[in-house]
Amino acid sequence: MGFREHSARVRRILGIVLAVLLLGGVAAVLVTGGDKDTDTATKTVRGVIGSEKAEFFADPQVVKALAVKGFTVGTETSGSWDMDELPLDGYDFAFPSSRGPADGLRAKAKTKDKATTAPLRPFYSPLVVVAHSPAARVLADNGLATLGPRGTTGTLRMDAYLAAARADRTWQQLKGSAGHAELSGTLFITSTDPVASNSGALYLAAASYVADGGKVAGDSAAVTRTAPLMRKLIQVQGAQQASSDAPFRDFVSGVGNPLVLVYESQVAAQLLASRPMGDLVVLYPDTTVNSDHTLVPLTENGRALGELLSNDPELRKLAVRHGFRPQGPAAEFTSATGSHAAYLNQTLTGVRQAPVPTGKVLHEMALRARDQGDPA
Amino acid sequence: MRKTASLPRALAALALALLVTATGSSCSTIDNSTVGGQGGPTPDRYGTSYAPGTLRVLASSELADMAPVLEEARKATGVTVRPTYAGTLDAVEQIASGEAEKAYDAIWLSSNDYLRLRPDTAGRITGETPVMTSPVAVGVRPAALARLGWDPAKVTWSQLHRAVAEKKLTYGMTDPKRSNSGFSALVSVASGLSGAQSALTGQDVARATPRLKEFFAGQKLTSGSSGWLATAYGRRADVDALVNYESVLLSAPGKLTVIRPSDGVVTADYPLTLLTSARAEAKEAAGRLTAHLRTPEAQRRITETTLRRPVVLGVPPAPALAEDKRRELPFPGSRAVADDLLDSYDNTLRRPSRTVYVLDTSGSMAGERLERLKAALAELTGDFRNREEVTLMPFGSAVKQGEVRTHTVDPASPRTALDAIRSDATGLTASGGTAIYSSLQEAYRFLGKAPGDTFTSVVLMTDGENTDGDPASAFDSFYRSLPAEQRRTPVFPILFGDSDRGELDHLAALTGGRLFDANQGSLDGAFEEIRGYQ
Repeated sequence: MGFREHSARVRRILGIVLAVLLLGGVAAVLVTGGDKDTDTATKTVRGVIGSEKAEFFADPQVVKALAVKGFTVGTETSGSWDMDELPLDGYDFAFPSSRGPADGLRAKAKTKDKATTAPLRPFYSPLVVVAHSPAARVLADNGLATLGPRGTTGTLRMDAYLAAARADRTWQQLKGSAGHAELSGTLFITSTDPVASNSGALYLAAASYVADGGKVAGDSAAVTRTAPLMRKLIQVQGAQQASSDAPFRDFVSGVGNPLVLVYESQVAAQLLASRPMGDLVVLYPDTTVNSDHTLVPLTENGRALGELLSNDPELRKLAVRHGFRPQGPAAEFTSATGSHAAYLNQTLTGVRQAPVPTGKVLHEMALRARDQGDPA
Repeated sequence: MRKTASLPRALAALALALLVTATGSSCSTIDNSTVGGQGGPTPDRYGTSYAPGTLRVLASSELADMAPVLEEARKATGVTVRPTYAGTLDAVEQIASGEAEKAYDAIWLSSNDYLRLRPDTAGRITGETPVMTSPVAVGVRPAALARLGWDPAKVTWSQLHRAVAEKKLTYGMTDPKRSNSGFSALVSVASGLSGAQSALTGQDVARATPRLKEFFAGQKLTSGSSGWLATAYGRRADVDALVNYESVLLSAPGKLTVIRPSDGVVTADYPLTLLTSARAEAKEAAGRLTAHLRTPEAQRRITETTLRRPVVLGVPPAPALAEDKRRELPFPGSRAVADDLLDSYDNTLRRPSRTVYVLDTSGSMAGERLERLKAALAELTGDFRNREEVTLMPFGSAVKQGEVRTHTVDPASPRTALDAIRSDATGLTASGGTAIYSSLQEAYRFLGKAPGDTFTSVVLMTDGENTDGDPASAFDSFYRSLPAEQRRTPVFPILFGDSDRGELDHLAALTGGRLFDANQGSLDGAFEEIRGYQ
């Protein structure tokens, strides 16, 4: 018994050591080109991240900027709430997309040193809704949205949208939808699965805040008040994806639902990469939620990485290039996106931030919306 | 940190050396005409051991068309994809049971929608990266389209239903229980015909049942895989259309006009998905691969080569792909709705099947082989659908007429027939020679007696070569002399024991069937897999 346990642990430790080293080797070769002296002490850190940050960490310039500071970072993606289910052994940090999941992850950390695992929030991004221009125009013509002069950005009126959802309004019932085959069926915003993924959960945070007359849900009673509507917003969608990348990709591909909830960063990154935007329109809900990308250090090295991302000017610049808004002064974001004001509401004018319920309350809200609340 | 650095480094070098030596087998060409029985990863010619720089991927079979793109990806990233092809259901079962973890680093199915409905797979998958999209659509022969007088851009599911109900349109599609294209088609048509405005519910399905029944009466071909469906369709001039992914339809031999019904489609988005259990290095390799596949260059190549739609802004779909948009029909959000839909398809909506099992019970089957046959048949009885007619036709030197039994599964008491089949199977005895071809003729004569509106097929299980009765050539001329209607009945031979692959291959090719290999897989696996074709 004792022997088997011991050997299993040794095997696991060996496995982790090997995995980290193999990974480090690969990354170091990538970074240095394989022909330089690799003896400089680089810290190899490994983390699990929300999918919307995958391209940031894969960016060669980010890899380089991290290498300059002595870091080699390996990542894999997961839904923010699903991170809880992953074995976190061998990871140095977890980087979900909001504060909510961070508490659970801290509790799972091997290091119980609170100072080590104190979460860091290097950057954030508000939730927005993307639409193709015919859909945006129909929303505007029916009082559900207002559009800017060029029609490529605008505001989604959440109270009007929730009223439509309550009444099971269909696209066919909205004037101007005829002639667009894709504009039929129930009007709804596609989100990710709120039980598994952050953006889906934050969608409920914003919607429940509006539905409850501007009150943030603090307990089960508050969750119950908005539960029927939250359930409707989720059930109407059928199967949901577990991470925010997939619905955005479907949208880009010209398939999927006309309205998709994404992070502003996903759109801004495309703009900053000078990708042609086609007929994409960015709608800022008049009440939305900021996704505070929250890095939970699981080791000292993870913590050092989080501090670097928060404070290093070069990495902050690169975060902006991937569409994120660094914490602190707004100038970095506004100056970088200056030429894209037709799509982005740089100063978030007219956009109210809904406070987010605690992780526990939000999770309960999500479970009930997906009918997973009670053991049936 | 510094102190321990040298030991782990030495260990890593050792581990690398071990990993390199542990991987011997390399990828060979993929033979799509033969399939092994399912049930766990087959440690076949691809091998299942891990090799650095290689990603072992359990993939949907239609992804075979990605080979040139993946070869370019290998050059660009150094990551070799080693695919093993499986149907969606088979793959989902392997993930849920934990078998997939033993042999693969990632899965790459047309869609993870069904997978996500299974709570037992939740912790087993991580990072999903959609690579390309393709809607499930209807490909119609131009002649049929002209006859119907349709504008392909404007056809609805209701119109398709009406044409089928008026017997103006027939089609083939894959089995929704085994293949995602079939399941997506089932969801699409149920949504379209029920008028559901959002995700399907049980009530929607119940409401649409009469119309769905009419629609599925027009399904003349079923298949466990997209590849075989296209081949079978090629032989059948009486089938007007195929339901499958847009990309598959556009690549099918013979021109098909693609209809994406204007009231909505279900679209596959091909997410390359990591297994949680994969080692860090494999995850890293997958990251490099997907980053490459998401570059505009790779996306352009994908859409041009495979006729799927790109997922990157600024890359237009290939010219063959129409750009007008479609409503996306929501995939059911609960397993209960999905499973109810599958159950009603099997037991109520689809045409019933009618199958003769021509079973070799010659002397050479005595002992262990006969026991395996009995066990496999017993296992199979759990799979028969309501309204299905099953005939067991054992043979030795000739068909053992006294033991031929036919049972029909009565929806009112399905147990009765199933118990009877199980008991008949238990009673089989081994004796005599092997009269394959005479017995097959007998099966065709039996089926010819009462041609009904069914999916009709013959399963041939033999463990040896023909020793008695007519030779192969006599069967060939017998088959060719059959009326066209009866020639549509395929034989699905099972390679087992010492049976002759060449002879059985010929039978499958002659009758439009498919060979199943129970030597590579298992006998019950082969029986199970054939269910997708019945």
